[in-house]
Amino acid sequence: MNSVHAKLLMMAAAGSLLFSNSILAQDSAYTPQILPPAPRAARVRVMQGPELEMADDKSAIITWTSNNPGGTDEHFGVVHYGTNPIELGDTAKSHIRLNQTHSYTVFRVRVRGLSPRTTYYYTVDSMEANGRSDGVNSPVKHFSTR
Amino acid sequence: MTRVRLTIISVVVLCLVALCMSVGGRKVSAQNAAAAAEPIYNPYPPGILPSDLPSELARVLREVDGIEAEAIRQWHAIPPPVVSGNPPILQNTGVPLVEILGKLMNYDRTISPNKNKACASCHMPYAGFSGPIPSVNLTMIAYPASAPFRAGKRTAQRYTYSSYFPPLQYNATQGAFFGGNFWDSRATGYLTRAPDAEQAQFPPVDPNEMANPDTACITYKLSLAPYRSLFEEIWGAGSLSSITWPANVASICATPGGAAVFGTNTQPVVLSTADRTLSDNDYLHWAASISAFEHSLSVSPFTSKFDAFLKGTYKLTAEESAGYELFKGKGNCNSCHLDGRSTAPAPTAPTAVDTGVAADVTPVFTCFGSANLGLPKNPRDSFYYETTPDSLGFTPNPGGFTYTDLGLGTFLRSGFGSAANPNSAWRPFASTSDGQMQTATARDVAMVPPQCPTTEAPGPYFQKEFFHNGYIKSLKQLVHFYNTRDVYPFAVESGNCPAGTVEKVNCWPEPEVPANEDMTVGKLGLTDAEENQIVAFLQTLTDGFTTPFPDIGTYTGTCMSGGTAATQGNSTIISAIKLRELMNQR
Repeated sequence: MNSVHAKLLMMAAAGSLLFSNSILAQDSAYTPQILPPAPRAARVRVMQGPELEMADDKSAIITWTSNNPGGTDEHFGVVHYGTNPIELGDTAKSHIRLNQTHSYTVFRVRVRGLSPRTTYYYTVDSMEANGRSDGVNSPVKHFSTR
Repeated sequence: MTRVRLTIISVVVLCLVALCMSVGGRKVSAQNAAAAAEPIYNPYPPGILPSDLPSELARVLREVDGIEAEAIRQWHAIPPPVVSGNPPILQNTGVPLVEILGKLMNYDRTISPNKNKACASCHMPYAGFSGPIPSVNLTMIAYPASAPFRAGKRTAQRYTYSSYFPPLQYNATQGAFFGGNFWDSRATGYLTRAPDAEQAQFPPVDPNEMANPDTACITYKLSLAPYRSLFEEIWGAGSLSSITWPANVASICATPGGAAVFGTNTQPVVLSTADRTLSDNDYLHWAASISAFEHSLSVSPFTSKFDAFLKGTYKLTAEESAGYELFKGKGNCNSCHLDGRSTAPAPTAPTAVDTGVAADVTPVFTCFGSANLGLPKNPRDSFYYETTPDSLGFTPNPGGFTYTDLGLGTFLRSGFGSAANPNSAWRPFASTSDGQMQTATARDVAMVPPQCPTTEAPGPYFQKEFFHNGYIKSLKQLVHFYNTRDVYPFAVESGNCPAGTVEKVNCWPEPEVPANEDMTVGKLGLTDAEENQIVAFLQTLTDGFTTPFPDIGTYTGTCMSGGTAATQGNSTIISAIKLRELMNQR
């Protein structure tokens, strides 16, 4: 084996080693960040709904779409409900994660612990993770369990 | 060869397998467990353990040993560093040396009490550093411990990009927890500021995993390892070799943790105060070295099709591109699996196309947060059946089926099966965190061995498991679950869907944890074709496209084939009611 041949073999071995084992320094400029909240919307309005998505004998899902309220990404859809339309004393809330790239947000709230074959009245709102309301105004609507 | 002859041969093979292993009884033997002093622990009803478990564990050990031998060669090929300055810097080759030290540790089976379990035994590269045994992924979902066949309660999380998670924190501005490692975020990084480093400290002393009875046992075994000189070169002369070990250290460290002989003593290796401090520091350096490996290009390299797409060197196919638009739009996947894009004005309607520009060229496809996705309880999880003591007197799960995995909530309470919470200020958030599990990076979710090129039936495919309890068996099912959880809800447990329905197709059993359920998902309105497009996009997040993924070709097992992705694994579903009956009959 001449010296050139030997050098080629050594280079091939070194290349193979680098190729296969990636004993290389991590060189990504990426620094992960926790996304800060988007600015809060000046006003949050219901664009579609609210309406009943489904109901069985003891639970229901209420859904609506609003403009993206901004604020904390961890958000809650809130349903105030009761069997008397002028006394909506119960509250259900469900986790919704805002998508900062969307101008709209679909809220869905699961309401549990309902009675069968009963009509419930409700309004909706949404709030930030810290409980701060988005100040949504919605009409009183109703649904019935099965 | 006729079909009859094939059948006869199959029967003979099955009989031979049955002779070697009587699953469901108490007579299971295991090649890999031959070194174990204690008898096999098998409290499981028939069908929980896969029939090929012993041979598959042995297969993975052969692969682990092969990569360990490779790592030793790679270490010896690295030129020695020039030690410079004070604090001393390993000039020129310090980075590759600490990375290769982490790799050597990761594939070292001698760290476990029975010398049969390396970290990699549950985290192999061809599975994106998650579970390497298709039949385990299909059945018991957690991987057997060094003490066979104790097992944990959750799926093995991928290492990839774990080092990018920040320390666990309650972010007051966002009003939520972010960071940490593990499904329940219990590796907080509170001490080292590196959650993935602290993650590496838990499984070696978890009685349901590697099962060392004392962290000093890891130090002791490092002091005997062929790479101990590398450890001391990096972490200081004498850091291992100056510790005076008691005469019974080998015996103690060959006994799996949790054994009754140890009582409540978590430090059965008796050391002087100075040596205990040395050992504790060595264990931190074990963690830091493994973290360096996990952060290296060997594990987290940003070499996927999607990375090439961001650099403009790969054009997404029509299917992939449509999937990406759905991922960002109608599917709303990037509300949690952040794609680092979209700084421009947002779409104005659910059907609009995002025109945002790249905000960050190397996103990790997670928000680092946690959520309760409302997954059904998986009665195939072996943990539910470990209610009786093994031969060492250890009972992994005294509560049996009453155990409910509350994830982050349990950790914040310092509860059973988790770890101590180092910050009492987090404790009040426990109830609002119940059921929440870490949002995994979507990167490498589809990584498979080259010879089984997909996770999806009909394949040939490599069977993986998804989410913390492995209930989901294909990416199609994963997307379909997000899409239809609330379209096909049934108040049943797995295995008990009503007649006329098909579990995971048009029947989703009730959530294991109803509290704090995330309602961002559950009814996305995606068509069947759109679900498939999102799966196609997820497959663009697999590393190894621009540069081969290291050690991807080490799988020596077989591929599966047949069936459909929608019902993949359904043949292994066992009714939860039936399983409870079988357990009560023991």
